Amino acid sequence: MPVVTLYFDELERMVGVSREKIIDALPMIGSDIERIEEDHIDVEFFPNRPDLYSVEGVARALRGIFGIEKGFREYITLNAGYTLNVDRSVEKVRPYISGMVIRGIKLTDEVIRSLIELQEDLHWTIGRNRRRVAIGIHDLSVIEFPLKYTTVDENFSFIPLDYSYDMTVREILEYHEKGIEYGFILKDADRYPIILDANNEVLSMPPVINCERTRVTESTTDLFIDVTGMDESVDRALNIIAVMLADRGGTIYTVDIVEGDRVRTTPDLSGREMEVTFTDVYELIGTELGKDDIRDALERMRFDVKMDENRITVRIPPYRADIMHPWDVIEDIAIGYGYDKLTPEYPSVSTVGVSHPWEDFKEALREIMTGLGYLEVLTFTLSNERIQYRWMRRNEKNCVRVMHPISEDHTIIRTDLLPSLLNILSMNRHRALPQRIFEVGEVVEDFRNRLRLCAVTVHSEASFSEIRGVIERVMKEMGVEFDIDNGSDGAFIEGRCGKVMVEGREIGVFGEIHPEVLENFDLVNPVVGFEIEADRILSMKSGDIEMIF
Amino acid sequence: MQLSGLEMRILSEVKKDRWYTPEEAEEETGMSRDAIVRGVYSLREKGLVELDEMERISYELTEEGKEVVENGLPEERVYRFIEEKGEVNIREISKKFSDEVARISLGWLKRKNSIEIRDGKVIPIRYPGTEEIDGLKKVMSGESLNNELFAVLKKRGFIEERKAKELRFRITADVELEKEDLIGDLNPSILLRKSWKGKKFLGYDARIPSFVIYGGKIHPYQRIIKEVRKIFLEMGFTEIKGEYVQTAFWNFDALFQPQDHPARDMQDTFYLREKVEIPRDIALRVGEVHETGGMTGSTGWGGKWDIETAKQLVLRTHTTALTIHYLAMNPEPPVKAFCIDRVYRRESIDATHLPEFDQIEGVVMARNVGFVHLLGTLKEFYMRMGFEVRFRPGFFPYTEPSVEAEVYVPELGWIELGGAGVFRKEVTEPLGIKHRVLAWGLGLGRLAMLKLGLKDLRALYQPDIHWLREVPVCLW
Repeated sequence: MPVVTLYFDELERMVGVSREKIIDALPMIGSDIERIEEDHIDVEFFPNRPDLYSVEGVARALRGIFGIEKGFREYITLNAGYTLNVDRSVEKVRPYISGMVIRGIKLTDEVIRSLIELQEDLHWTIGRNRRRVAIGIHDLSVIEFPLKYTTVDENFSFIPLDYSYDMTVREILEYHEKGIEYGFILKDADRYPIILDANNEVLSMPPVINCERTRVTESTTDLFIDVTGMDESVDRALNIIAVMLADRGGTIYTVDIVEGDRVRTTPDLSGREMEVTFTDVYELIGTELGKDDIRDALERMRFDVKMDENRITVRIPPYRADIMHPWDVIEDIAIGYGYDKLTPEYPSVSTVGVSHPWEDFKEALREIMTGLGYLEVLTFTLSNERIQYRWMRRNEKNCVRVMHPISEDHTIIRTDLLPSLLNILSMNRHRALPQRIFEVGEVVEDFRNRLRLCAVTVHSEASFSEIRGVIERVMKEMGVEFDIDNGSDGAFIEGRCGKVMVEGREIGVFGEIHPEVLENFDLVNPVVGFEIEADRILSMKSGDIEMIF
Repeated sequence: MQLSGLEMRILSEVKKDRWYTPEEAEEETGMSRDAIVRGVYSLREKGLVELDEMERISYELTEEGKEVVENGLPEERVYRFIEEKGEVNIREISKKFSDEVARISLGWLKRKNSIEIRDGKVIPIRYPGTEEIDGLKKVMSGESLNNELFAVLKKRGFIEERKAKELRFRITADVELEKEDLIGDLNPSILLRKSWKGKKFLGYDARIPSFVIYGGKIHPYQRIIKEVRKIFLEMGFTEIKGEYVQTAFWNFDALFQPQDHPARDMQDTFYLREKVEIPRDIALRVGEVHETGGMTGSTGWGGKWDIETAKQLVLRTHTTALTIHYLAMNPEPPVKAFCIDRVYRRESIDATHLPEFDQIEGVVMARNVGFVHLLGTLKEFYMRMGFEVRFRPGFFPYTEPSVEAEVYVPELGWIELGGAGVFRKEVTEPLGIKHRVLAWGLGLGRLAMLKLGLKDLRALYQPDIHWLREVPVCLW
């Protein structure tokens, strides 16, 4: 989520209240305050409100919350016949485009900073790193209408921003800083999107780079802004920029986007309507707010409100693309009303508590193990083949592998607990012996979670007979009939390994850890241990446990 | 004078007026060195023992010294190389070894008259002496060696000085032990013969520490989980569990997360290579809501929804993947369910981020519940955990309204501890859930850090056994 830097002098001037009040109100419109400095505040706004990614947008919202200016802010657009023709060839590569002209804007440092930051934040959020939406800002005075949105091949050339000589599309994608950064979006294209003016002069090659010719400077007063992309989000982004610049005194002129015989006029700042029933409001909020309170709350959230007996009709500001459903309006009623003014109510829903059998069994296993003097540990379930198999002198099992691991230590989900516990002993070599630790934990086999109990003991005299005694006691405490037989497992010394059988089936292994394994884990004292498939025992006693999802 | 059992044993088993090191006393008495040292210090307090703490200087091999003992001197290797070639350019030696090894080795070879250097060429004369190695072996076994060689070893950085305190003690005072009349350790024969009757017991000083005892115990984090479980069960919730491996469908799509949402990136989520089938009819209903809003009254996200993307397996990124699946299978109200379990995010490990951690989640689905009932449930839940709570707007893609819970911690003020909301219609309707669902969740790690005073989350899953032994069972 983008962090927006808001300067107090601008904010106080635009909202018309003191910074203290603003700081208190900001969290209540949906944000996290990151830090407060002498002259500015860094605020993280939620991704559903890209209209708040500029000081203008925040001021607009806050003036509503404070009741200084309520209801829908009207934005006037003029039509001066600006036209942009769309060639069908863009459909395959980057089908959507919107545009507008802004005249008479004073591009002070303050405005430029705000505009550039908003552009960047929109690229990152709704733009999905320019893949879905990209915004180009141009000096209107060098552009001749009508414009054309079309495609060119890789040998087409123009002077890209920050350069003084012609580059072909291919060269831009290979060498230009922005080409390298955003070229991935066009990697499958054989023709490349381009915006040309009436003299076939280039404006930009979206979503990668503008041309140098239309560069905006401090003396620029009139702008053309294009938004290209993959879906209707282009209009959302355009509207947010349009109102930001209009709030700064610019006059918005629409552009007619001509696609074959279809004409769309952008931006459309008239706002959509949505209907919400009072019943829905009362039910979702869970209490009957007064109609005046509802109206007031909505107007503070900058909606226009009409009401009849049963329903509310709101006019949604053009920059509020997050309103998808009547419930989104109801949330705004709650926010406008104030979460702190709602009275929490404990629901009278009568149910009984039911614990999960695995968790109950885990509790019992913990009681058994702590009673035997073992210390419980918890470990990571992410592990790697080296620790799980190679270091254990065991064959690799069919385990869950993650596709893009964060490091070579975290490539799989463990299939056994024993390696995790040896790892803990290894980390605790410097701590006093004897150490007796256990874990009741889950492993994954064939994509299914399995419950295991594992324990290890390390001290200078740790012996097979010690662990033989422990496993026998553990099995007896579990209250199941079992047999112990000689076993074989690479992790244990040959001839010092046993297996635990229940109902003729091997459910556990124990013994004295092989010196080579100890060496792998950097352990210099003998270690004995066991691991049991606890879920099998549970299933044998109480039938299959529901672990459906 | 009162003496502890330990002190008594030392006084009675160690000879008077003779200097002992703790090791010697250990051999003579069979007591542990630790116990002897502890006893001797407390006996000094009572004026019964004289202590002598000397600083003793010993020498040990450095890493380099050990390397030499194992693999020989660097100049030996260099000499062998020279000898093999018959005559070598200095530059060639630098190239074969490093500049530094070449420089040092040639220096020593010259000093040992093993080579001659003429016109930048090195000519071998005789194999260099290796008395350094013999010297190092002597140091290792504690033998003495001549000063000259000793100085060389030090200069070449093969050995280093270690200062150690050496402790000696001597019992000075005669204590009238009156062994005959005092009973030390009780034993069955004393008890059976009742021979203790009429005798005095040797008094022990309770102020003197004895040996350290560690017991087995539950991990402190587990104890917090147990507390939270208890709260949920007392409040009438059903505990649910599920697989770590989930389909993207249940983890994301069923929760109305658009398929191009950044949280679904490979950057943030652990994907597996495999795909599995998902229930087609439910999937298509969910897909329709993504695209157009379906019958929910929503506009949907627009664009195309792809069922193949939903079949991809992931390591679940939140326990909501389980609660939503559970609700879809149990759509009849009322349902109150909770889950405390492991989730995965593709984060690099540091003090406050882990690629896997535990999450707490609760849901309530019932007739006639709304947002204020969510607030009421949260208030009750947090109160039972010992927190005062307040609310402010939040954002989660699958809830509306959404709320963030902040709790008051005296040292920190109001801090964020969990998020909540009412599941969106776009989530519940295609799954056949007809009633409103109140949901909330919080990270258990944050809670544990608060309760256990931890600064580093790693301590929970890579535990220091010392910490586990010392952290009290009762946390207030």
